Amino acid sequence: MLARMSKLSTLIELEVPTGDVVPVLRRRFTGGSPGRRVAIVAGIRGDTPEGIRVAYSIAELLETMEKDLHGTVDVYPCVNPLAAHRGSRYWPFFEIDLNRLFPGRADGHSPDRTAFALCEDVRGADQVLELRGAHAAFREAPQALVRVKNDRSAELAQRANVHVVWKRSPGPAAPSTFAHQFPGTIVIEGGAGNRLSQGVGRQLTRGVVSILSTLGVIGSTEAPSTEPITVTDEQVRRVRAERGGLFLPGCDLWDEVDEGQRIGSLIDPATGVHVQEIASPVVGRVLALREHPVVLAGDMVARVVAT
Amino acid sequence: MTTVFRIEAPFRGAYELHRLTFGSGSPSVAIVAGIHGNELNSIHAVNLLVSSLRVQRPKGTVHLFPMVNTFGADEGRKRWPIDDQDINRAFPGDPEGTAVKRIAHALLETSNADVCVDVHSGAPQVREIPQVRAPMSGEELVLARAMGLPVVWRRPGDAMDATGLVGAWRAADRKALHVVGGRGVTLDSKHATTLADGLQRLLGHLGIVPPIGAGRTVADVTHTEVESHRSACGGFFVPEVWVGDLVRPGHLLGRVLAPIGGEQILEVRAERTGVVMTVRAYPLVHAEELLVRIAVTGS
Repeated sequence: MLARMSKLSTLIELEVPTGDVVPVLRRRFTGGSPGRRVAIVAGIRGDTPEGIRVAYSIAELLETMEKDLHGTVDVYPCVNPLAAHRGSRYWPFFEIDLNRLFPGRADGHSPDRTAFALCEDVRGADQVLELRGAHAAFREAPQALVRVKNDRSAELAQRANVHVVWKRSPGPAAPSTFAHQFPGTIVIEGGAGNRLSQGVGRQLTRGVVSILSTLGVIGSTEAPSTEPITVTDEQVRRVRAERGGLFLPGCDLWDEVDEGQRIGSLIDPATGVHVQEIASPVVGRVLALREHPVVLAGDMVARVVAT
Repeated sequence: MTTVFRIEAPFRGAYELHRLTFGSGSPSVAIVAGIHGNELNSIHAVNLLVSSLRVQRPKGTVHLFPMVNTFGADEGRKRWPIDDQDINRAFPGDPEGTAVKRIAHALLETSNADVCVDVHSGAPQVREIPQVRAPMSGEELVLARAMGLPVVWRRPGDAMDATGLVGAWRAADRKALHVVGGRGVTLDSKHATTLADGLQRLLGHLGIVPPIGAGRTVADVTHTEVESHRSACGGFFVPEVWVGDLVRPGHLLGRVLAPIGGEQILEVRAERTGVVMTVRAYPLVHAEELLVRIAVTGS
C-alpha cells in the first residue's frame, strides 16, 4: 500500500449496540509551507452521496499535491456515516436531522456529540466549504449558497464552477444548521438526491479546486468553466403545486424559460383528470426540478431563478 | 367538531385538521395532541378529556385538537409521511407553503387562547413519567404546577425554539406548556389517564370546570436536580426500575448486557434519592444514550 500524505484522525467514535464502532473521520493535508486552513465537510445528511464523492475526489487530488500545498486542508469525508450507510437523510434510529442539531452538545446523545465534535474541530478554519447533494425529491443545478451580506464569501464562490451563487437570508431553522455556525461558509451542491449525476461531481470538484487555488492553498489551476450568476432570495422563485396530484415535468434542469412558459403538468393519477398547467412566474432558468412526482397543494415542483 | 383546515391528497382522501370546542367566552384554553403521529398517549389523553367535557358545562372555552398528524398516525410515524417533515419544526408556518407549513399555520391561527398546552408522548425508545417540562417561570410555572403531574421539570434556557408549537405560541405572547408522558408508538393507559387528569386540573384551576382532587407532584426540579444516566457503551439494556419508582443511592437501575451472549457489561446505579422519571424502553442502546433519568428529591 502506498504511503498516504493525509493524516487520518477520528473525530468521534460511534459505538453501536451490537459492538461495532463507527468512526467519524477527518483527513488532514498539511503542506510544506504555512498558509490558510480550509475545512471541507461532506455527508452531514446521509442521502447526499454527490457531496461525499466530491470530498473524496478532492482528497485524492490533494494526495498528489504535497509539494504544492500551502497551509492545511481538512477533509471530513462523511460526517453522518450511519445515515450514509443506509442512504437516509436522517441519523438512523433516532431519525434526527443532524443539520438541525448544531452546534451540538458535549453531553448529549451521539448525534449531538458528533455535531459538537465537528464544530470544535472546524473552529478556527479560515474557510469552510460544505458539500451537499440535492434533497431526495429534487434535482438541482450546480449552485453555491452563501449568507447574504457576506460579500467575501459571495466573491470567492464565483470560483465554485456553478451556475448560480445564491446569497440567502437565514430562515427560522438556520441557527441549528452547520453552515450557520461559521458565517463565511460556502455550501456547494448539485445533482440529484441520493444518487450521483453524470458530470456534476467533476464540475463541483473543479470548483472546489479553483476555490483552494484562489485562497492560495494550492497553486494555480485551470479556470472554472462556468461563470455563475449571483442572485438573492427575491430572484429565486419557488413554483408550487396548487393542488395535490402527480407532477409531470415539461422541461429540464437549467432550461431557459419565459414568463408563463409551461414547466410541467399536474394530473390526478386516479381519474386521469388534468389538474393544473404549471408555468414559470418569471423569465429565467430552472434551478431545481421535482423528481419525486407525488405532491400536495403547496409543495414545490420547481425553483426558477429570474435572469 | 369543526374542520379548520383541509388539503387534498393524491391517491387517498383529503387531510383535515379537526378541532373540538367546548363552551365559550373567557378564559380560553387550547390543547393540542398528536402533532407527532406516533405519540398515542397524547391522543388518548385528549380524547379522555373530550369524554369528560361532554358531560360538563365549561365556564370558558376549551379548544381541543386530539390528533393533528393523522397521516403520520395512519403509518405509526412521528413526521408527516409524504415528505418526512416534522410539523413541530414548521412553525409559524405559511398558508402558501408546503403541507406541513400550511398545517402549522392553520394550527397556530385556530388555537388562539389564553393558555395553550402541547401534549406529547416520549420518544419510541423511552418511557416518560407524565410531566411538564420546558423553561418556565411566573404564571406559566403556576399553571404547570396546577396540573399536579408527577414531575415539573424547569429545563434551562429562556425560550423554546420558535419553529416548535410551544415556542411559536410564546413568541405570540401566549402562555404555553409542554407536557409529556408515556412512550411513543405504544399506549400506556395509566400515563394517558394521568395526563388527562392533569389537563382537567388545569381547567379546574382556571375555573372552567369544577376542580378535581389535587394531583401528586413527586418532584419539582430544575436541570441540576435531574440525574441522567447514559450508557458508557453499546449494548442491550435491561431495566430494573419502572417510571415512578422511588430510588435511593446505590439502587440498581438496570444492566447493560452484551447483545450476543448476554454477559453483563455494566451496572447502572442511582447516585441520589429521587423518582425515576425516564426509563429506556427499547433495549438496544448506542454508547452515550440515555438509560434512566431521575428527578432528585433528596441527597
